[in-house]
Amino acid sequence: MPKYLCLQRALTGGQPQGERPSPAQLQEMYGKFNAWREKFKDNLVDLGGRLGNGRLALPESPPDGPFVELKELVGGYMIVAAASLDEAIAIARECPGVVRPGSGVEVIEILSQG
Amino acid sequence: MTAELGEHFFRREYGRLTAMIVRRVGVHHLEAVEDAVQTALVSALESWPRSSVPENPSAWLFRVAHNHFVGELRRLGRRAELAKLRVAESAELMDAEGNVPAAFLAGDVRDDLLRMLFLCCDEALPVESQLVLALKSLCGFDVREISERLFTTEANVYKRLGRARQRLRDVWLEPGELELGELASRLPAVQAIVYVLFTEGYLSSHAEGAIRRELCDEARRLATLLAEHPVSATPETFALLSLICLHGARMPARQDGSGGLLLLQEQDRSLWNQSDIEVGLSWLARSAQGAVFSRYHAEAGIAAEHCLARSFAETRWERIVESYALLERLAPSPIHTLNRAVALAEWRGPAEALALLEGLEPPSWLAGSYLWFAVLADLHGRSGHTELAALHGRTALAAAPSQAVKTALERRLR
Repeated sequence: MPKYLCLQRALTGGQPQGERPSPAQLQEMYGKFNAWREKFKDNLVDLGGRLGNGRLALPESPPDGPFVELKELVGGYMIVAAASLDEAIAIARECPGVVRPGSGVEVIEILSQG
Repeated sequence: MTAELGEHFFRREYGRLTAMIVRRVGVHHLEAVEDAVQTALVSALESWPRSSVPENPSAWLFRVAHNHFVGELRRLGRRAELAKLRVAESAELMDAEGNVPAAFLAGDVRDDLLRMLFLCCDEALPVESQLVLALKSLCGFDVREISERLFTTEANVYKRLGRARQRLRDVWLEPGELELGELASRLPAVQAIVYVLFTEGYLSSHAEGAIRRELCDEARRLATLLAEHPVSATPETFALLSLICLHGARMPARQDGSGGLLLLQEQDRSLWNQSDIEVGLSWLARSAQGAVFSRYHAEAGIAAEHCLARSFAETRWERIVESYALLERLAPSPIHTLNRAVALAEWRGPAEALALLEGLEPPSWLAGSYLWFAVLADLHGRSGHTELAALHGRTALAAAPSQAVKTALERRLR
């Protein structure tokens, strides 16, 4: 099955950090995430993690000016296996907390040889 | 793989961690501590489902929260405070690998929770602020959840919380001053808060049963904590826990299948929780020691009479009338007189009950509530005073706080 890289992205104008969830809400999210993971356990190759600070490495030392800070764009990543891009999108879309107001997920096929 | 976390795991850990860290760093840091605890819980949510729940989840959370707290102090450049903390940190908190010894975590938690509860009950604070503070820091509810449970606005909860935190910053107790012995003089205030927490849940007209149940469960948890700790294990505490168990036992029967309220005589007594009744009665027995007879003793006694009666008709109303009379002396309030009148009507008939209420001028909070008029309507109705019954009945219905109460009243006054 082809594999897909899923990147959580902050949407332009979106506010990725909303209100802080309460402990009871955290418990609910924990339950939902586990249920999602169980449902798609055959598809989840690498649950990945959150991404911290990053910077684009360029062939030459960068000129003065705005650097491309990755953290503004990407919240977390994971790798899923799916029969098609549509299926991979469906799996990522169902993941609790990934697709929400202010953020979406970009799904990219990882091309393998042959 | 992930293990199942217990019910209310995140809320429980919130209370435990807050209490544990506050004990070590001082209560004036409460807000920063709560931030750090919140951060640790979010980290757990992000990391545990992806790998596994650590062997000792509490120790993991403690380490993350503590590190975050220390990091924040460093970021703010508060070096003097850090230096003091560093001593505690290296001496007792962590081993060479930065692990928190499990035994250390297990031992003190009850002390820490109790200490935090005593800290919330600062007599310089209004009871409302004490309650909000306890719900936030010990029970792990956030501002929105507290406002829902106490029927007030979020702005109001923020205000009460702000006042409480300000007070805790001002008194600036050092960790050493948080000795439980020192705080034990606050026990009556602590008992009062647990009682208020229970009645908020038990008497609330909140539509959702689960939410009311939750407050009652929190009250029972805290009362149990008090009853099992030498510092607070007094007969009054036992009586308080007893009344919480006994009233709580009857909760499952108070609502019909669709959430409507059922009157005492309509309740299916087989739904009462027998094991809660047994636990409540055993605490009541333990409360009968020493010379003190508190309002909690009187109220637990009343609850016990109801739980022990095989039917509404077989209730020993004379004992209940007696207990309400005691309660009026211990904690004078016209609501106790009103309750005594209700019991008296069952025992000696409505005429005597009306005579008891005659000349009683209810304070505005009671005169504006449906209870006062509902009782009058009922007593007049049973005495054949049709017009007075109808008049008071209309007033009671108009003042009913919820549809559930209104429906139950209509049935009763029909």
